[in-house]
Amino acid sequence: MLRFVIRRLLLLVPILLGLSILVFAWIRALPGGPAEALLGERLTPESRAQIEEQYGLDDPVFVQYWRYVKTTVVDRDLGTSINTRRPVSEELKERFPATIELAVAAMLFAMVLGVPLGYVAAKRYGGPIDQASLVVSLLGVSMPIFFLAILLKYIFAIKLGLLPTVGRMSVLIDIEHPTNFYVLDAIIAGNPEALWDVIKHLILPAIALGSIPLAIVARITRAATLDVQNEDYVRTARAKGLPPRTVDVRHIFRNALLPIATIIGLQTGLLLSGAVLTETVFAWPGMGTWLVEAIDNRNYPVLQGGILFVSLVFVMVNLVVDLSYALINPRIRVS
Amino acid sequence: MSVAEAEAREVQFEAPAGLWRDAWHRLRHNPSAMVGFALIGLFVFVAVFAPVIAPEDPRTGDLSRLEGTCCPGPSAEHWFGIDQQGRDEFSRVVYGARYSLLIGVVSVAVGLSIGLVLGAIAGYFGGVADSVLMRLMDIMLSIPGLLLAIGIVAMLGPGITQIMVAVGVTQIPIFARLMRGSVLAARENDYVTAARAVGVSRPAILGSHILPNAMSPVIVQATLALATAIIDVAGLGFLGLGPQDPATPEWGTMLTDTTRYLQTAPHLALIPGIAIVISVLGFNLVGDGLREALDPKFRGRA
Repeated sequence: MLRFVIRRLLLLVPILLGLSILVFAWIRALPGGPAEALLGERLTPESRAQIEEQYGLDDPVFVQYWRYVKTTVVDRDLGTSINTRRPVSEELKERFPATIELAVAAMLFAMVLGVPLGYVAAKRYGGPIDQASLVVSLLGVSMPIFFLAILLKYIFAIKLGLLPTVGRMSVLIDIEHPTNFYVLDAIIAGNPEALWDVIKHLILPAIALGSIPLAIVARITRAATLDVQNEDYVRTARAKGLPPRTVDVRHIFRNALLPIATIIGLQTGLLLSGAVLTETVFAWPGMGTWLVEAIDNRNYPVLQGGILFVSLVFVMVNLVVDLSYALINPRIRVS
Repeated sequence: MSVAEAEAREVQFEAPAGLWRDAWHRLRHNPSAMVGFALIGLFVFVAVFAPVIAPEDPRTGDLSRLEGTCCPGPSAEHWFGIDQQGRDEFSRVVYGARYSLLIGVVSVAVGLSIGLVLGAIAGYFGGVADSVLMRLMDIMLSIPGLLLAIGIVAMLGPGITQIMVAVGVTQIPIFARLMRGSVLAARENDYVTAARAVGVSRPAILGSHILPNAMSPVIVQATLALATAIIDVAGLGFLGLGPQDPATPEWGTMLTDTTRYLQTAPHLALIPGIAIVISVLGFNLVGDGLREALDPKFRGRA
């Protein structure tokens, strides 16, 4: 087990290295060069000279790279946003929780709906629920997230007027934001009206973002349950005389959940990508809208810091998933 | 007759059917796959014959049609209504099929060709080449798909060719991994050892033995990748990173501004979106059908 963990952690090194090199090279490949990219319109001969000295653009590439790693990792300095003149790391602290909150809500939606749907579909193979689950899965992956978001907006907000469509919270409500996770903030503030408002704002974006994970989770749970049902140990359990309920829960369901752990890594990637589109439709102030605005405004420090950070998170999540999967499935540890 | 004769007869019954014929037979009898084929057929037909089908030029609009407010919905002369610049929506959607098909095919072609070559090299030659290539793929996969595409577009600038390249590049690791897996699996087979023993050169083995057998998962993946490519390209267009001329009838770009008109002219948003869903659905259905049809577990039992 320990060997597996160490091996997996060692694998992290070349990936992080490669990632940093990729982002570093990317900044230099941007049209106009790093000085223009990092300063934008504020470029003057003096500031250009300053940037060149700061980044040592005359030095050999390796020195530049080393300096870049040092500034980013040691000094934790991700640069300054061209538009808002604020440190990128500060804006990151505001934007990131917004996206995480949305992603978690979407994931919850996908799991809470998807796992039972897949499970029941498999147990009643060929029945109407099964057909329905297949249709849901298919539509989920065939529909672009932003279109689903627009549809939801149209049906629930414009036609039915039930749910809000913009932002994380109504402007009429005012609470403190110690954590920047609005659900937590509302709970901490002890304000049920605010809490309900925050949740209402979360519903539509979470459904839109969670649609693809829902489709995948339902499909995989269904496939896994179907596979497990025919396994020998299930037959043994039934032959032993165990009550059907016990067989279902302790053997079938538990083992059917295993493959879902493997796709959580994949889903995180989908959620992070999909967040960009969902946030744009619902004007959600998260990483997605931040990055899209950054592209429009050629705000390269934000782009660089944002993409690097998101990729880092993604790599970490995959690492945790891999390690926990080894914990759950003893066979992996031996290989 | 003797047992040997009976067995000989049995072998004769099974022998003529090959992998492809079995697969096609199973595909033909799969109703959802057939629906998928129909949808793809419709999509390709509309894309190819767009100039004939569309009644008007998708780029030129007649603002006088708007009569002050936006925007007239579907009517007898304009089946899908009129957009905010006075253009015929039906023509725009029809021409949009062209862009989606073109961009989808080119992106997948880019990803597939580069990915397959890299994967085949990694799988067959192993060793250092394998490690280096796979690390590279891991690094590329460590950036979530759309963000990688966005990064590439930021580097190349917005535009149609650029999003084709961006989406194509994001597809490379998937095909590389797939090909490598297939090659690795095929490499262990006895017929490869036999060919080596007889003295067939390594490239010849790759070409005539390994590649043909590794093809089936690639075909499935290519079909599904087309579905994803169409969605991703629409997504990039929606974010404003696609064709910069707003007159271009690309489905994703057509959805960008329409959220403003949801209350008064919902058809502007709904119709292109439904078009995307239908096209993508077709490719997904066929891809799933192909996956089932080409599954080696069913071979010889058609």
